[in-house]
Amino acid sequence: MKKIEAILKPFKLDDVKEALSEIGIYGMTVTEVNGYGRQKGHKEIYRGAEYVVDFVPKIKVEIVVSDERADETVETVRNAAKSGKIGDGKIFVSSVEQVIRVRTGETGTDAL
Amino acid sequence: MDKTNTDILIKKREALIKQFLCGDEPDFLEKHASVIDEYFFSIFEKSIAAKKMTIAGTPFAIIALGGYGRKEQCIHSDIDLLILFEKSVPPEVEAFVQELLYPLWDARFEVGYAVRNINECLEMAFERFDILTTMLDARFVCGASLIYTSFIEKFRSDLSTRHLKDTLNYLFEHGEKRHFDFGDSTYLIAPDLKSGFGGLRDYHTLLWYAKIKSNIKTRRDLEYYGFLSNFEYLSLEESLNDIWKIRNFLHHITKRKCDTLHFEYQMELAGLLGYRSKNRQPGVEHFLGNLHTRMDFLKQINQITFEDILGTIRIKKGTSEPRPTKTDGLVIKKRRLYFINTVAILQKPDLLLKIFLESGLRKIPLSIEARRIVSEFLHLVDGDIKKNHACIKIFKRILSLSYWEFNVLNVMLATGILEKFIPEFSAIVNKIQYNHYHRFPVDKHSIRCVQIINNFKEPGNSPMETLYHSVFREVRNKNILLFAALLHDIGKSNPAKEHSKTGAKIAKPILKRFGFNSTQIEDAVFLIENHLILVKTATRRDICNEETAVYMANKIGKIRLLRMLYLLTIADSRATGPKAWNEWTQNLLRDLFLKTMGILKKGDLASKKTQRLIDKKKNDVLRLLKNRWREDEINKQLESMSRRYLVYIPAQNIVDHINLYRNLKVKDFIWQISKEKDSDIRTVSICGKNKPGFYSKIAGVFFLNNLDIVASQAYSLGEEHVLDIFKVNPPKDRIFETEKWKKAETDLIHAISNDHFLDNALSKIPRTIQVSSGKIPKPNTIRFDNETSSFFTIVEVFTYDFPGLLFSITNALYRSHTNVDVAMVATKVDQVIDIFYVRSLENDAKIETEQGLKQIKNAILKSLPQIYSKEVNNEKN
Repeated sequence: MKKIEAILKPFKLDDVKEALSEIGIYGMTVTEVNGYGRQKGHKEIYRGAEYVVDFVPKIKVEIVVSDERADETVETVRNAAKSGKIGDGKIFVSSVEQVIRVRTGETGTDAL
Repeated sequence: MDKTNTDILIKKREALIKQFLCGDEPDFLEKHASVIDEYFFSIFEKSIAAKKMTIAGTPFAIIALGGYGRKEQCIHSDIDLLILFEKSVPPEVEAFVQELLYPLWDARFEVGYAVRNINECLEMAFERFDILTTMLDARFVCGASLIYTSFIEKFRSDLSTRHLKDTLNYLFEHGEKRHFDFGDSTYLIAPDLKSGFGGLRDYHTLLWYAKIKSNIKTRRDLEYYGFLSNFEYLSLEESLNDIWKIRNFLHHITKRKCDTLHFEYQMELAGLLGYRSKNRQPGVEHFLGNLHTRMDFLKQINQITFEDILGTIRIKKGTSEPRPTKTDGLVIKKRRLYFINTVAILQKPDLLLKIFLESGLRKIPLSIEARRIVSEFLHLVDGDIKKNHACIKIFKRILSLSYWEFNVLNVMLATGILEKFIPEFSAIVNKIQYNHYHRFPVDKHSIRCVQIINNFKEPGNSPMETLYHSVFREVRNKNILLFAALLHDIGKSNPAKEHSKTGAKIAKPILKRFGFNSTQIEDAVFLIENHLILVKTATRRDICNEETAVYMANKIGKIRLLRMLYLLTIADSRATGPKAWNEWTQNLLRDLFLKTMGILKKGDLASKKTQRLIDKKKNDVLRLLKNRWREDEINKQLESMSRRYLVYIPAQNIVDHINLYRNLKVKDFIWQISKEKDSDIRTVSICGKNKPGFYSKIAGVFFLNNLDIVASQAYSLGEEHVLDIFKVNPPKDRIFETEKWKKAETDLIHAISNDHFLDNALSKIPRTIQVSSGKIPKPNTIRFDNETSSFFTIVEVFTYDFPGLLFSITNALYRSHTNVDVAMVATKVDQVIDIFYVRSLENDAKIETEQGLKQIKNAILKSLPQIYSKEVNNEKN
């Protein structure tokens, strides 16, 4: 199994959710996060006072899928989140050793 | 033998619970406690160990404490027991405890017990207040009653002679701490039925206080001893019965002592308690609405208690009484506001409002008595009062006096006078929205909004608070904003419809009644109708895109509305709960606000005039393209075009550009060359993929082909394309013009694929230029403007015209890793001011570091030729 973590622009969340549900992926964890990479913070000025935004608000989406579905999922997220600009985000893929459903105790891909 | 006793207990208890769950046992708590009492009787009677101890001269009493002592035993409540000896505690007691409690533990009852003598008990009670309060509820179960009475006598006399003040202090401080720890329980997603604000503990505290002060025995005495009015006592009974019932059911379904009404149990409980959906509102929302009403009442009980405690002991010596009120008919006693008498109210019903104004101004709460009177005299608030100018003015002032720390509006709501003034408000009182997101019933939420806005009056400690404060100070008519805050969710009374729109409709007549003029009403209605637009846009649109801010600016239209809408949005989100308000949302919102403000202040892209111009152009384009494209296709195309572009480009040219774009397909670029009507100038419209340096390369290719650029504009077209317009002087060789253009096109193809294709052309740019005027030439100057736009660094270049000028500057910009998004280039005689809106290629944002700006400046200066004038040169020679 693979865990796919995607850091995206907030307004792309709906697109990504929709695209994933189209390929039959409904479960995901969404977190509001702050961060910065190449897209650094910026500052705004109001009435002479400077407001520095150190971190850029982003959305983190986490999905765990079976190995076979990983590539398709990554592609789907990428296509849905892409605007071609800096700050579109990153996708991390890592291996997941085990998944257990708390209620039933099912393990592996059955628990996904 | 023990087993039988336990069996009897279990059986009786089960039967009792079953009856209760069917709804046939109104006195469940008391009977439940009695069933347990019976168990203790029978063990005590049969116990040999107990008899031995009595015969040995060490009799003892079994005493019930805490909730069990009060006979308020819920299904899985603890059983608190005290085995009390007069003096020494014999070792045989161990055997007795085994007999008494082991079977209970085996049957999984939660039993806590202590074995002590009277002195130990007294010592512990006055050492630890939590023990003291359980002692206050002590009830004799069985055994030697004399020991119980002698203990209680000593306890009472010690309490009243030596520990009264400490104990009352403890009650007061502990209450405050509890509310701080548990929060306003009614407004948690999962309210705590026992310990939170509005929980059962609030009633316990009153009971303890009354027991300490007047030695009352039962709940009923609360009225007899004057702690509560008859009406209040009846409401208390009602509230307690409801909350106990919920608590019992909660214990039942969780199978344990669970006092937190977790989100996941709420639906199930609502069903079990028989709440059904009504008027499209789900049963669970009715259930929670009712619970809120009940807990609200316990909160009032809490205030009654604390006020009483304060009145008894807490007024420290030396603190002076507040100066008397100047309002006729009111009086301040013990830091509380009272009506002088009820006759005064009958004569001047506006006192019912004035007391709240006084309270807000002086930050002195209404006495409980005054609250009672307001509730009972509500019928005096009739049409005349509501239309009275002076009263309306008072109401408006009260609205601006409702702060976080001291909130008059909540008291107005609790007494019912707020609803009397705004009857439309009733529909949202205790209206619950059942989800994780909304913490507060709609009425409380609306009042919180007003509070939060009033609190912006304070300068605040963080940069964000300072921003809110300074925006708030710029709001001219704060009443409009406060009314909008109070009424923004009034549309939630109707669950079916979109609440912002419904709310705007409901609010309009209210605002009229309150005497606002038509512009003010329009403003408030706009705020109510659009109170979600900022937050929606901030989280669902790309706020780094200028178009988003332009769209927003256009929608809002006026700076004053944007300011108010921003503050309303913050207050609304904050008042909703932590899911709606956090640093993340706060940053997004602020960015959108500042960017939109930037656009509105500049005005050119968002004014009404601009909008009319754009609308007209869109219509023209639709008309011109009607025969060739479908309307929705054209609209989609127009949507992707920037407003800046739509403002500056004539409709006919927009049509040309749309066609150009349609024909672009997979090519890197496509251009169209047209002749101007009455001049020799050629207009080259180029549509292409947005690749870094594209604009500079076009300029380079024109220079390479000796096509002199007179003016140029650059625009982005959607996310991925650009539209550049160049006005150029035609080639000198008119006979082969077509071939010349063909060559330039081929050159551009090469330049796009090969970044160094134009290096050769660069070397042909003159290193010096001589200006014609006799004056001392102005040096080349580069200016940056990072304030005008939130999206671009604006670079202004002042220089003199020379062949290859545009190429030289834009190439320098490109090589400094910036992208030209917008360009305005025009030459006047030979002095040139070129303006470029650029963004860094590295992070697609403005260039804000000193170093970055310096680098760009040097690169451009280096690319420009030296300027001298002949005469000055000669003088030097």
